[in-house]
Amino acid sequence: MSVIEVRNLTKKFGERMAVEDLSLQVEEGEVLGFLGPNGAGKTTTIRMLAGIIAPSSGTAIVAGHPIPSDIERLHEAIGLLTESPGFYDRFSARRNLEFFAGFYSDINATVQIEKYLKLMGLWDRRENRVGTYSKGMKQRLALARALLHEPKVLFLDEPTAGLDPEAAQEVRELIKRLSGEGRTIFLCTHNLTEAEQLCHRIAVIRTHLLALDTGYNLRNRFFRREIIITVQDLNSAISEAVKKLAFVQEIRMADNRLTVELNEPEQNRPELVKAVVDAGGRIMEVFENKQPLEEIYLKLIREESEK
Amino acid sequence: MSRKRILNILIKEWRVLFTDVSSMMIVTFLPFLIIGQMLLYVWLAVNFAGDKAMDIGVFQNALAKLQVAIPRVADLSGAEPFLVLLLNQFTIFLLLIPVMIAMNTVTFSIVDEKLSGSLEALLATPVRTWELLLGKALAGAIPSLLMTWLVAGVFLLVLSLMGWGNLVGMVLTPVWFLSLFLLTPAITALSFLLGIIGSSRAKDAKSAQNIVLVVILPLFGLIALQVTGIAWLNALSMLGLAVLLIIIDFIVLRIAVRLFQRESIVVKWRQ
Repeated sequence: MSVIEVRNLTKKFGERMAVEDLSLQVEEGEVLGFLGPNGAGKTTTIRMLAGIIAPSSGTAIVAGHPIPSDIERLHEAIGLLTESPGFYDRFSARRNLEFFAGFYSDINATVQIEKYLKLMGLWDRRENRVGTYSKGMKQRLALARALLHEPKVLFLDEPTAGLDPEAAQEVRELIKRLSGEGRTIFLCTHNLTEAEQLCHRIAVIRTHLLALDTGYNLRNRFFRREIIITVQDLNSAISEAVKKLAFVQEIRMADNRLTVELNEPEQNRPELVKAVVDAGGRIMEVFENKQPLEEIYLKLIREESEK
Repeated sequence: MSRKRILNILIKEWRVLFTDVSSMMIVTFLPFLIIGQMLLYVWLAVNFAGDKAMDIGVFQNALAKLQVAIPRVADLSGAEPFLVLLLNQFTIFLLLIPVMIAMNTVTFSIVDEKLSGSLEALLATPVRTWELLLGKALAGAIPSLLMTWLVAGVFLLVLSLMGWGNLVGMVLTPVWFLSLFLLTPAITALSFLLGIIGSSRAKDAKSAQNIVLVVILPLFGLIALQVTGIAWLNALSMLGLAVLLIIIDFIVLRIAVRLFQRESIVVKWRQ
């Protein structure tokens, strides 16, 4: 079941096109990574879907609420982690959360605040002023704020931006945990490794949608799949034996490494290994050469720039 | 739910206001400073130039109008009529208090929220624009109003302490009460709504404050009209002015809600 349905969403600021004709669907419980360079329209898309700014044209239904007509109920159903945490620095963490919780109906603020401050590891510092918090703590507190009313859908705008590796890892663990609870997460990020770790599907945007698929499918779409076999005393007999295999598309030899291009490595790997061994090869290592998501991303962006 | 949300904003604003020393000083100390300073000027004017001032043509016109409005002034001696003329200007002068407080609280309130990034988080909650604006306006308007009334009370007390107790009755006219309990709330609302409009449209607090300044000029204009004898505000004209301001308040409220564009505030303002 789609929790986010976007059709032909467009946003123009004056003459400048920020988001053009964006259409996508996000299923319940899915984590969608939303990638793109600076100024690609990621934050604008999140702001439109979170009902903060109105689209110029197109429609979107988020958690069953059409935007921009049903904003109040939409805001009851979604949680938004903004680019900057945005707290009242002179207030304690608890007081900040109490204030934001005060806008939601039907929540037990005291219980929810305790639950999420504990989950975020901030319970012991709950009475400290937010101004004394580190950036990572503020980000975790912002996540707690976004979750207070138990939203079905979470919009996270650059949740690990500017955090040190340890704090970023903590936030990623929390996102994994939230995903595990079945929440739908729309994750806007620059961090490709993070996207790969956390997201079921990845959308790449540069004003308009360039690609939307799983990391696996994107790899297959943009790059041939390769198996790399490291063989002691690699020789032409071995390479000839491999070439003869019907599923092999191309091979390359360099030093003692044999790179084999093929379509279905999972299925063909045993036969490939057998052919090398039968030809007298002593295999040291076999692995699939997975193109990093970064390569796919850069290829997409480069192609778009060349248009 | 609306009442709960407005109250939530109101309490938060008060917590912000009263945990910031400079803002708290503006609300509590500035009104007394304004009135104290003006009382000093009045004392100096009456004691060092009172008799001579009464011979000046413009003041004679004003004193004539004052006598029509308050016939008991004719029984006063020396510079006392001039003193009553000046003390009666405090009915309008007190109106500066909510304007000054508005300029220093509500404008910063919205601009600070934007700069700290809390406004976007706030706009992602189910709060409606009018609830947010009303909560913020009330959070400043209520202390302003209370302070104006408190200062007005202290002003009357100080008059007695300064030996002008016999003149208090000539200050406590229907105009005084209409100004304090009808015009002051109307001016307070107008100042805060203009502050909100200012901070919705401006990119920083200073530009926002300039918009509130437009209220000050007509107030000084009113004082000038009275002191120079061009016009005198009687109870009826004060009532008319108050009603006009209340109508303007409603119009400005609608404009404020329309001008408070979530989008332009979130998108155009940069930290």
